[in-house]
Amino acid sequence: MASGKRGNGTGKAQEETGAERKGVKELAQRACEVMAGLGVGYGDVRVREDRHESIAVKNGRPEQVTADRSAGFGVRVLVDGAWGFFASHRLEHEAVEAVVGEAVEIARASARLRGEAVHLAPVAPARAQYETPTAKDPFAVPLEEKLALLTGASRAMKGPNLKLAEAFSAAYEMRQFFESTEGARIEQRIVQTGGGIAATAIGGGDLEVRSYPNSFRGNFATGGWEYVEAMNLAGEAPRVAEEAEALLAAPPCPEGKRTILLDGGQLALQVHESCGHPVELDRVLGMELSYAGDSFLTTEKLGTFRYGSEQVTIAADATVPGGLGTFGFDDEGVPAQRTPIVEAGIFVGYLTSRETAPAIGRTSSGAMRASGWNRIPLIRMTNVNLLAGQAGRLEDLVADTDDGLLMMTNRSWSIDQKRLNFQFGVEMCREIRGGRLGQMYKNANYTGLTPEFWASCDAVCGPEAWRLWGTPNCGKGEPGQTARVGHGVSPARFRGVRVGVKA
Amino acid sequence: MRPAERESRLLETAERLVRTSPADETEVLLAEGRAMLTRFSANRIHQNVGAEEAWAVVRVVAGKRVGVATASSLRAEALDAAREAALAIARASEPSADWPGLPEPQPAKAVDAWDGATADASADRRADLAGAIIASARAKRCEAAGAVRTDDGALVVVNSRGVAAAGSQTQATVHAVATREDGAGYAEGTAVRIGDVDAGAIGRRAALKAVRSRRPRALEPGRYDVVLEPAAVAEWLEYLAWMAFSGKALEEGRSPLAGRMGEKVTGEAVTIWDNGLDRRTIPQAFDYEGMPKRRLALIEDGVAKAVATNYAVARRLGKRRSTGHALPATSAGECLPMHLFLKGGRSSARRLVAEMKRGLLVTRFHYTNILDPMKTVLTGMTRDGTFLVEDGEIASPVRNLRYTENVLEALGRMDGASRRLVLVRGPYVVPTVRIRGVQFTGTTEF
Repeated sequence: MASGKRGNGTGKAQEETGAERKGVKELAQRACEVMAGLGVGYGDVRVREDRHESIAVKNGRPEQVTADRSAGFGVRVLVDGAWGFFASHRLEHEAVEAVVGEAVEIARASARLRGEAVHLAPVAPARAQYETPTAKDPFAVPLEEKLALLTGASRAMKGPNLKLAEAFSAAYEMRQFFESTEGARIEQRIVQTGGGIAATAIGGGDLEVRSYPNSFRGNFATGGWEYVEAMNLAGEAPRVAEEAEALLAAPPCPEGKRTILLDGGQLALQVHESCGHPVELDRVLGMELSYAGDSFLTTEKLGTFRYGSEQVTIAADATVPGGLGTFGFDDEGVPAQRTPIVEAGIFVGYLTSRETAPAIGRTSSGAMRASGWNRIPLIRMTNVNLLAGQAGRLEDLVADTDDGLLMMTNRSWSIDQKRLNFQFGVEMCREIRGGRLGQMYKNANYTGLTPEFWASCDAVCGPEAWRLWGTPNCGKGEPGQTARVGHGVSPARFRGVRVGVKA
Repeated sequence: MRPAERESRLLETAERLVRTSPADETEVLLAEGRAMLTRFSANRIHQNVGAEEAWAVVRVVAGKRVGVATASSLRAEALDAAREAALAIARASEPSADWPGLPEPQPAKAVDAWDGATADASADRRADLAGAIIASARAKRCEAAGAVRTDDGALVVVNSRGVAAAGSQTQATVHAVATREDGAGYAEGTAVRIGDVDAGAIGRRAALKAVRSRRPRALEPGRYDVVLEPAAVAEWLEYLAWMAFSGKALEEGRSPLAGRMGEKVTGEAVTIWDNGLDRRTIPQAFDYEGMPKRRLALIEDGVAKAVATNYAVARRLGKRRSTGHALPATSAGECLPMHLFLKGGRSSARRLVAEMKRGLLVTRFHYTNILDPMKTVLTGMTRDGTFLVEDGEIASPVRNLRYTENVLEALGRMDGASRRLVLVRGPYVVPTVRIRGVQFTGTTEF
């Protein structure tokens, strides 16, 4: 059932929301009545509104501020064991019949080229409300206040070669009412907030970026503006600028096979690309083959395949407070849950849906999410977390390393369509000699094959270094969808990794 | 709904919003349409979706302070709310000293980019196309995965300086990956008119490649001459556009062309231009500020000639006019060329392979990303049909390889290109090319 807490909107807003809510529920109910009348095998409707605010500050002044609002409803039906989906921006009762009719017509066309009929894993129809907590609703915080924080941070980044001193924030609100012909009725409000800074130094035909707390516009979580305030962006800004300048003068990372330590931001993306995506069961079953690809983690490997060393335990957990992939129910009405993925190095679980879970004899892991009212839910990562080990803090792991490289903050990522061969670039790299950080390198990267790489993991830092990272730009599906997902990690060490690939 | 009727309704809606705006300047972009997509895998349709969508982008300027807000509805209250939200942003923001104002109207040439049969294509029609691909795959004992997509949309841009541009576009796009055992092959097709897409032939091409790419052998990484098919060429162009051809990247010093305009930046065989008016692409008459599209030479005979701009970037770069490459006002990137062409040569795809002593034939790339934007260094994998060529013949399929390469330099080593240019999703219009010594830095297990 529902978890999380009710929000803190103003009285006026609640009053308006009350009227809107009633209309939304009536529309959803009407859609289910029409679906039942047309004799669909299964049907669901999501009435959804998304708000998004994006702020970008460049060189001390606002570069771009946008406020997006998107609302509509999508109807998904199973007819003759085949899927159809149609969605409309027309949030009107008069549109419901036509939209359901289009979904049914599409499903009938699917049935012409159907394989085995779709059978959905059972789920108890939930009637619930869920809301993520916020201390400071990011949409209620005055824009002037948000701009002041970001311009302050931007202005605190200075340097002779610093061409871009950028600060960002973004806030997302998703309100959704889900109703199914099985009787589920679920109302959710999820608020996500994030931000960060980036210093770009350019000179001598080179460009170096240093970011905080993460690259590509920062870090993100479910929560409110308090999350951005706690980042101390202005306080970190001088260091970030200095490091960008220092990188410009640093030598490139030498080529070789080395011990590497990955910081949290980089390790989060490593988990995302080399574990999160290959355990999506729709990929494994070929449903994404022509676009993002499939997976090396085929079903016969479940329960036996050695994915990594004994240090490696990974779980997908949609219930972690604050995770960017945290929610109450997925977009099929399945409750958020924790799913073991890798246990002491052995591959044990997938991210699944009601359609795909029966292929491995299980029920849905509750991972189906749509990026908006106009898209179908797909299997998406929740918070795919590398569990903490026993290697203490990052400083302790550095001290425990005789000869290695510390790779920090992602700059570039690429991986093959079965998720085996990867290559990641990082913003900054530091030599480790005798347990101490030394020489800085720029343009560092590392490459490998997923199972070999995770098998080489010999230490994971402890709970004191474990934190959540948000990936707000996870792409999948056709038409394209962008999901916001989370990864909890603490830094880790890998042996014998190829580094310094050059063009 | 027919295009003229829809465009005039959208124009009226946008003009009302501009006319009644209290802001110093107002720009309204309205888009409306239907996007339908049928997806198949393992020879069956497994996802089948459609949506009717509307998108409004309102940009207002108050005392040189700019605000942008969007809505997904064309209803008056939603549009008024978006304008109000944009105004609130502008008022809370700071004046932009170099704000040049919204652009003045410029005459745009009409393009033929709309087709009734594509706009009206039913789920059954898309299933027919999927079925044709699957039948082609089955004939070669392959399984097919892919998608059939049809889009119909109208776009209008109106601003308070008198811009009032309207246009409609349809597009039909098909792509397929055929697989048989450990072999995979890819083919695609895209056109304004669904009748111009031959799904059966696309299925046959993909299936033929799948059959030929079975039992790939492992190949050591290293430098290989390559023949890149159009989908692979287009992927490099896409990333070059991001890194090099945006006026904003040039202005910020992030472009590898910064400070090198008029200089030779790659080989003489390389000529790249953008042209939204060309019938060979998916034409578009104007950009997202309503400025006319025209041919823009980006690299000519290896020499950097120009970058793409919107109006504000053009003025900041000291130009009088936009090149007609504005992105919607919601985009921080501001401008990008989106109808790229690469000049062809005098050869054919077949001859490029036949003349190669030893090298690789690459169908397409996967998961390309930027390692070093200033040096245009990309990395990515090959996918769905990679072959070793020896003495002008395909000797064997090979396992996929990772490349890490400076692509502007690599294009400079192009020693042959097909005369025929092919329209690839994006849209890009490109030849098959042969390049000497592309660096492959890793391999995978399939």
